[in-house]
Amino acid sequence: MSRLIHSDPEAGACAVATHGLCKRYGGETALEGVDLWVPDGAVYVLIGPNGAGKSTTLKVLMNLERPDAGTAEVFGLDTVRRGPEVRAQVGYVPEHHDHGYRWMTCGRLLRHVAAYYPAWDPAYADHLSRAFDLRLDRRVGALSKGEARRLHLVLALAHRPPLLLLDEPTDGLDPVARNRTLALLAEHLADSPTTVLVSTHQIYEMESLADHIGVLREGRLVAQMPRDELKRTVRRYRIEVPEGWEAPPELRSAGPRRPGAGREFQWTLVGEEREVTDRLTLSGARVREVTTLGLEDAALAFLPEEVSR
Amino acid sequence: MLVNLDPHDARPLYLQIMDEVRRALVVGTLRPEDPLPSVRELSSELVVNPRTVSQAYRELEREGVVYVRRGQGTFVAPGAHPDDQERRALARGVAKRALLEARRNGVGVEELVTIIREVATEEEGEPSGSASAANQGDTE
Amino acid sequence: MIETALHPTPRPRDVLREQLRAVGLALRVPAAATVALVGLVTLLLTAELLREGGRVDFHPEHQMLPSVVGLLLPIAVWRGEARFGAGFLWTLPVERRRHALARVFAGWAWLMAAIALFVLWLLAFTLLSGGSLLAEETLRLLPSYSVRAPGPIDPAAVRSVPWTPQPLLWLVPFTAATGTYLLASALALGSRYPLRWIIGTVLGVFLVGAIGDAADVKWLAFGPSNPLESLLNGPYGLDTLFTARTESLKIDVTLSTGESVVVWRGLPDLGQWAAATLLWIGAGVLALLAAASRHREGRPA
Repeated sequence: MSRLIHSDPEAGACAVATHGLCKRYGGETALEGVDLWVPDGAVYVLIGPNGAGKSTTLKVLMNLERPDAGTAEVFGLDTVRRGPEVRAQVGYVPEHHDHGYRWMTCGRLLRHVAAYYPAWDPAYADHLSRAFDLRLDRRVGALSKGEARRLHLVLALAHRPPLLLLDEPTDGLDPVARNRTLALLAEHLADSPTTVLVSTHQIYEMESLADHIGVLREGRLVAQMPRDELKRTVRRYRIEVPEGWEAPPELRSAGPRRPGAGREFQWTLVGEEREVTDRLTLSGARVREVTTLGLEDAALAFLPEEVSR
Repeated sequence: MLVNLDPHDARPLYLQIMDEVRRALVVGTLRPEDPLPSVRELSSELVVNPRTVSQAYRELEREGVVYVRRGQGTFVAPGAHPDDQERRALARGVAKRALLEARRNGVGVEELVTIIREVATEEEGEPSGSASAANQGDTE
Repeated sequence: MIETALHPTPRPRDVLREQLRAVGLALRVPAAATVALVGLVTLLLTAELLREGGRVDFHPEHQMLPSVVGLLLPIAVWRGEARFGAGFLWTLPVERRRHALARVFAGWAWLMAAIALFVLWLLAFTLLSGGSLLAEETLRLLPSYSVRAPGPIDPAAVRSVPWTPQPLLWLVPFTAATGTYLLASALALGSRYPLRWIIGTVLGVFLVGAIGDAADVKWLAFGPSNPLESLLNGPYGLDTLFTARTESLKIDVTLSTGESVVVWRGLPDLGQWAAATLLWIGAGVLALLAAASRHREGRPA
């Protein structure tokens, strides 16, 4: 499955645009020729198995890692040449929290970071701290994984950045906190026009929030399109076929065929339903049922069997 | 106004929201001049991108179902006729979906109509009917 | 966003101020430990002075402590911060190289404050014990001293010379600490695994010296002709930076009369000290700037 399934970049500004981004760590390729486009104001979910390059993409945008080839732009600013300006527009929640401020209290860290962002809103920071149940007198080093994640979310949201880069934002949070986080994120988006790029394993959580998705596999972007298009064009077909049936070559599949009962099997295919159904019918197959897939299933269809579950 | 979104529904989210508003009108939960939840509230409750909610509200406004009062939010239009327009639109939506399902399952139009009446008659006999009727008065 | 204005980056003075605060907070624990230690030393020293009725003269330049503190401080300043890779410091909207230098500067500021307190502490001891600040001293000079003849010294060989304390040498703790701090900071910023470099260098030196000893190669073996010796104790060596050479020039010897006295192999030279200090601090600044350049943004990998 190496064919690229892309929709055309939408006319209009892209908050984030990468061109042929490549990044290698020693012998390992983390990113290979990635052309990521995140339209202004979108909530873009980056999906992929571990090691696919999701975190690396976010780090390259923050200029925490320099690409080996290709360029990246955030709001038209080159990430390598104008790193500090880019970071001033970004709220970043990293995958791993490790920094030398263990002895600082949460409150003190908030004030420390506030000094770096002239756009910081202290009242909003207070509101977020309360909403996220952050104990401001706790030392950063004594925080649990979930609390540290929440702290970073407050740090990222409080200065209302035009771009949010969230790496596993709900990792380590219990289900209640996860729900609350996403609801707060939705509220935040309603209050301030923000573009969001989320990298996550918890795809189902982003079901209703995401309006664009990108699928990274082994460093390559194998699919990138608006959510509605994914919903419309990636569907599961239950097909009944005669003996010796061969799939028509123009069919674009997004995964292997799954055997069903008798001569039936399930197959996730890409394309407008009417076209796909016509092609199948023309080739002699019968389309028994077409199911719309949830975000997770649709996205996972682009990933190989071994890593999809 | 309770809104339920179905991830497996083939319709885009904003259409689902629009239909839910229409449903509330038909059922009577929403009456003319009633306020709709703000974009902020609804997007937070549904965990949906506020732009999707905005889009739904804009389309509803375009259709004349709702209108915007400056600084106060979105309200149901005084001229909205839940019983006529909306009920018809809702019923047409149900019919379209049913016909699509029927086609997929190899059921013809006439056959479908006959069987619907059959099943409806059967269910009237049962104490607590299933929610397949288009005119369910219960919103819970 | 295209319509709204871009968020600005912070002002340099705000960044400096925040780094001063953050580094200050980071140094709280080591500072507390040091204060406790100093308190202990104060008690012991006071007890000894009261018992023996001695006095302490004001010689901040004789102390090795400032150099050691400067050398070790970067460990505390950079503790827990991922200097390479995705450290928290680098996620902030400040150019990486400048941010690193701001932190180094913040550490240096606190270092100078600590050294100043140390010097004041020495001053307090001097004044309270009735010691002298600027009064002329008499030093015992023994230029012919050699390590290879450690036997009791003939008192006749020791000359007594008068010596006026040089107030300029009171700057030694500050310059010494600055020099070691710069070099250590350069190492911390410039290399991913500074510990490996340190251990490697020490082992390397010993290895070379051992080979020299075994092969009887004069300039490799340990001894006065070893270049390392001049690096450490030579006229422009490290000891000149640390203590204006007072550490290596001052020796405890036993006279043939059985008396144990302090003699000087030579006198501290102000000109040498100034030159050595400039040399080492200059080297430190260059090393630091080179190390910081490794973190420069705006340059493709």
